[in-house]
Amino acid sequence: MGWLTRIFQARRGSPAAEQAGEIEEIRQRFRFRFNEFRQLLAANNQALEAMTELEAALAGDQPFGMAFVRSRTTASISSVLRIIRHLDALAPGKYAALSTVFKSIQAEIEAALAPHAPRHGGPQVLRLDQITPDMTDLAGSKAARLAEVAAAVDAEVPPGFVITAEGYRRFLAASRLEEEINRRIQAANPQDTDQFYALSSSIQGLILEAPLPDDLAADIHTAVADLVRSCGPQTSLAVRSSALAEDLEGASFAGQYLSLLNVSPDDVTEAYKEVAASLFSVQAMLYRLRLGIAHEDSAMCVACLRMVRPRSSGVLYTRNPVDLQDETMLVHSVWGLPRAVVDGLVTPDALILSHDDPPQVLSRQVADKAVRFDCAETTGVARAPTTVEERRSCSLSEPEAVRLGVMAMALERHYGQPQDIEWAVDRDGRVIILQCRPLHRMSPGRKAAAGRGLGQPQARLLYEGGVTAAPGAAAGPVFRLTRQGDALSFPQGGVLVASQALPRWASLLHKAAAVVAEQGASASHLANVAREMGVPALFGAIGAMDALKQGSMVTVDADASRVYADALPGLENQNPRPATLANTPVHRTLKRVAELVVPLTLLDPDSPDFSPANCRTLHDITRFCHEQSVQEMFRFGKDHGYREGMGKRLFCGVPMQWWVLNLDDGFVREEQGPCVDLENIASIPMRALWEGMMAVPWDGPPGLSGAGLLSVMFQATANPALASGSMGSRYAQRSYFMISKNYCCLSSRIGFHFTTVEAIVGERLFENSIRFHFKGGAADQDRRQLRLRLLADILESQGFRIDIREDRLTAALDNRERPFLEARLRALGYMIMHARQLDMVMADPARVEHYRHRFEADIKTLTGPQ
Amino acid sequence: MSEIRVMLVDDEPAFLGTLQKRLVHRKFSVVTARCGEECLALLEQDPVDVVVLDVKMPVMDGIEVLGEITRRMPQVAVVLLTGHADAATAVGGIEGGAFDYLLKPVAIDDLVYAIEGAYQSKRLGGPSQPLDTSQG
Repeated sequence: MGWLTRIFQARRGSPAAEQAGEIEEIRQRFRFRFNEFRQLLAANNQALEAMTELEAALAGDQPFGMAFVRSRTTASISSVLRIIRHLDALAPGKYAALSTVFKSIQAEIEAALAPHAPRHGGPQVLRLDQITPDMTDLAGSKAARLAEVAAAVDAEVPPGFVITAEGYRRFLAASRLEEEINRRIQAANPQDTDQFYALSSSIQGLILEAPLPDDLAADIHTAVADLVRSCGPQTSLAVRSSALAEDLEGASFAGQYLSLLNVSPDDVTEAYKEVAASLFSVQAMLYRLRLGIAHEDSAMCVACLRMVRPRSSGVLYTRNPVDLQDETMLVHSVWGLPRAVVDGLVTPDALILSHDDPPQVLSRQVADKAVRFDCAETTGVARAPTTVEERRSCSLSEPEAVRLGVMAMALERHYGQPQDIEWAVDRDGRVIILQCRPLHRMSPGRKAAAGRGLGQPQARLLYEGGVTAAPGAAAGPVFRLTRQGDALSFPQGGVLVASQALPRWASLLHKAAAVVAEQGASASHLANVAREMGVPALFGAIGAMDALKQGSMVTVDADASRVYADALPGLENQNPRPATLANTPVHRTLKRVAELVVPLTLLDPDSPDFSPANCRTLHDITRFCHEQSVQEMFRFGKDHGYREGMGKRLFCGVPMQWWVLNLDDGFVREEQGPCVDLENIASIPMRALWEGMMAVPWDGPPGLSGAGLLSVMFQATANPALASGSMGSRYAQRSYFMISKNYCCLSSRIGFHFTTVEAIVGERLFENSIRFHFKGGAADQDRRQLRLRLLADILESQGFRIDIREDRLTAALDNRERPFLEARLRALGYMIMHARQLDMVMADPARVEHYRHRFEADIKTLTGPQ
Repeated sequence: MSEIRVMLVDDEPAFLGTLQKRLVHRKFSVVTARCGEECLALLEQDPVDVVVLDVKMPVMDGIEVLGEITRRMPQVAVVLLTGHADAATAVGGIEGGAFDYLLKPVAIDDLVYAIEGAYQSKRLGGPSQPLDTSQG
């Protein structure tokens, strides 16, 4: 309180020069405090925005990643710290306990975010036969399962090795890529499609350009050389993604990462980088976003396996994925490599096996397979037309199907759950397992609804055929994809119609209502992802491209393999889409963090528990500081020590004396003389208040009239000594304004009432605030209470929050737009001038009602229509 | 208010260029630096009011530069603007004297508020400098 002491000391001498110094000191003090207060409110606003975003993410079904969680949490933390520091500037040391509370909440938040650090340690390269089932977080689940299949079930798998999560971590660390990747993700706007594509390509570019650390490159070369030595000089490799968090139940990542086939031994390190970079392909990033998986948790392990050159290959499901009631096994098979099946390029042969050991072939459906894929002569994969013979014959014989089925039964027994198995049969008829993962199953659960669709009189059938690739039904406008470029304009809620069920369409599934593809089967990657995301899908629907018109509204009933015209009530949106991201890893992290940030437990500012020690969340701290800051700021009006002679007299043509102290930019131009004109007042809140004060002439004390009495009452302000005598200090009895452009503090004593109005009014909504205090008045306690109640009623109807303590009323209003607050200030100005009329009539209910109506009518005129 | 002099420090030239244009459009006088060393050298010759400082930069990172500025040129205000969302760095930066810790991408209005706020607080004596307890 040094400055205050100095003012009092200075007062003793009190020549004009010293007083000018005092005024300057008050002004500086004001500017400093007002700035701190405004900065505090700005930080308060930022903190609340960040908290709102966290809360919305928690409740909504918009996907978000760890970048979002970290960014909004960090924004909350830094804003709250700023709030604390600005409050400390307003009241140094008074709220020191806040720092302790803040630090402990911050530490808890950091602990909640911590598990997303990458793991350390272990070898960079591991042979498949060195991998044990507990190494999933080192080798990735795809490679770890393949190793387990070979060891536990006596099934043949291609030999090879894995470049592990440790290898990936060291690869990124060598070029400090992890930080750079996070920075780029953080800085991009995920809602902006162009930016998202640019982000994906820039991160992939970073990875492709980064050099492999020498020791990692050496380990890879040694492993490749060993493989070639044991498998023969013609050996080529399949370089396949085996990312952490891949192949989890409900998050298979089917086809979302790159696998390169038939890679020359010389090209393995380049292929490795390409596969590693595919962690950041657009479709993979969107997929993770959708399923709430952090990229930090998805380190890319890469399996390098001997390339199998199959005669036939495909996918086996040990149960029906789209019908929980159906226990049969389903085999999809094509000639050559399984790519045609998993990429949804052709409709494959379909065999149904009984769920027995050994199984029986229950049915065989031979598809018209126009193309096949094989290893090209040099490297890579070649597409070729099938021969007439191949095209019409089944690519898998019954005995082969039975042997495959026996192996599948063994795998299901071993894992104790239904399996999704990618297999190959070589020229000698040997069965080789290429991949094995848990099968994500769903039930249509609405067979009745499908039937109902048929029965609807208005239902016009547009298409019938194909197989259920993902169950459910949904309606939307048809969007036909013919080129990759069409993907960019795919509309939210559209029905995706395409000739092939390509894996890359997966990046559109978060927007799609349903999918219809002419080729492909339930074994394709796209079908897998559609099931995980709960998007109904109908595949193998030959002729659908012609039957469904671009832009027309249709209902896809995937369960019944039908498409109807228009949105059919009862059938639309029958898809079992997961409601939220609840229970995904990123969502769980957000939940833990949000619990420390978002809830408001400190509710009542008048409770003794309203203290720093009881702040449990960042929101509590924010709330506490906001409340205290308004008090600390407006305390300025009480603490500053306004004295006679400091202000200028308002020249306003009324007999009362009003004084104005300009604290900063409250005047239009600097005033040299002892008076100031109303026209020279720039203060927004003061002008509004004054307008209300002068709007309606005071008509004298009730029941009395005449200029004489009027002037007597005005003495209260004109000559405080006549007023009550109870207030001893002559300094307290002035009616004066302290103002800046956006600030006004009015202290007035009119009649027997002591009132203050403090207001900040400007264009920044979150700074705007009014506090009104009303105290005293001539009358006994009961009448005072009645009067306060009447004032409270009127103010409440104007939107103020009211607090009454004994004979003191406080009304508050925050964060409203300028015109609204100007209207409220006019109302307050009116009430300050006219409330004294109540003093003499409070005993007479009829007259109280008269004034109530009168006040309400006048205030209505002043505030205008709401 | 007289024209506020701002220095943008970031190792990404494209980012610097875009932001410079937008701030000049908002009536700031803007110079740029590509690294912490350049920033300090420029400040020695011709100080500005507010430095908008990236955190992750090669050689000398933003937090080090902030330390040098608060030590050698306490009249210069600093706003951190970074793509690196890290709570501990944010707290360290603000406690180390930065007015604010903003995350990319930043809305231009938010950046303008922060620059104006940093300027005002430095001019009037805010909490981003050691607290003068005798004052309170």
